[in-house]
Amino acid sequence: MRTKLFTAGLALVLVSACGSSSSSQAKTQSANALNAAAALAVAKPLTKAQALSVMHERHEGMEDVGKNNKVLRRELTAPSPDLLAVRAAAATIARHSSEAAHWFPAGTGPDLGKTGAKPEIWQKPQDFGVKLHNFQVAARAFDAAAKAGDLAAIKARYADLSGTCKACHDTYRSEMHH
Amino acid sequence: MPKQRVWDLPVRLTHWLLAALIAFSWWSVKNHHTGWHIWSGIAILTLLLFRLMWGFVGSSTARFANFVRGPGQVLRYLRGGWSGIGHSPLGALSILALYFDIAIQVGLGLFNEDEDGLFAGPLANFVSPDTSDTIRAIHELNFYVLLGLIVLHIAAILYYRLVRGKKLTKAMITGRAATDPAAEPMRPGKWWVALICLGIALAIARWVVAGAPPFGS
Repeated sequence: MRTKLFTAGLALVLVSACGSSSSSQAKTQSANALNAAAALAVAKPLTKAQALSVMHERHEGMEDVGKNNKVLRRELTAPSPDLLAVRAAAATIARHSSEAAHWFPAGTGPDLGKTGAKPEIWQKPQDFGVKLHNFQVAARAFDAAAKAGDLAAIKARYADLSGTCKACHDTYRSEMHH
Repeated sequence: MPKQRVWDLPVRLTHWLLAALIAFSWWSVKNHHTGWHIWSGIAILTLLLFRLMWGFVGSSTARFANFVRGPGQVLRYLRGGWSGIGHSPLGALSILALYFDIAIQVGLGLFNEDEDGLFAGPLANFVSPDTSDTIRAIHELNFYVLLGLIVLHIAAILYYRLVRGKKLTKAMITGRAATDPAAEPMRPGKWWVALICLGIALAIARWVVAGAPPFGS
């Protein structure tokens, strides 16, 4: 019940936050916000094996996002970017951003195993949910811009996307070297 | 003993700015201010370039030719048979090691890229992501080498203060120290030469920031 109230509240916040957008967009966004919140709110606690498996998937996924982001940074600061490479990386990051909805269930923090995910993720689930959602929106917008092919728009959406990565990592990611 | 000028303003400014920027570089990268960390590195690069040039055309105590000595002189100094102003033959080795290691650290930093690919040094595009990762690992390790040299530097200053009664820190602040009256006094450099050096250092740093050769890979 508390979870439902929380997700409903979160959806409300997000809908009201984007009051200027069209209603269909707002609907999609609130649905996504629900997904993001669902990532954190798990009714049944995970078994240790399940939790470790999620953490592994999260680590691999985030690492792949990083790898693709490096390709993008290189291409988009080069004099003539390779649009095919940009599109492939954009699609991969957008796919991972959807998967990320399931990457942060409760009980997958540093208490269980080595991870760059800070305990604050589960202490401030509302704020984290919003930031995760912003990342998903930005990743899809960037993917769409890459497919459309206008370089100025691609660069602008890429800057937005990088901003959402930084916003989340500044608060919720610890230093973890491997 | 009478107090004489031993360090000119450019030498003192370079020293204290370097100390402050190294501390800031460490603090900023530990606290998610990677953008500031990169700019701090560029500022250090500018100072290093300036100091390198000032080491050829600056005041007498700033010039490498006047303080970099061979092992014979270092031994003579250790036996107490050296007199002069500026860096002692042994101190010169410490200065060279510090500057050399800071140069390595900044050089590596230029090719760095963070784990997420969100921040990159101005020359990172010249190497592959894997090479950049390796360079970052060395950059992180070399910080401990630099830290060791800084500890040695401070320990030596404390030794001179407590055992030999020499106030080296004060001399680096005021530029003056009690010296052997027989020693040759410091010949100051020219202010406009310092400005030209600074201009060249800024221009080279600007060129690096732009992505070097013909501006980017």
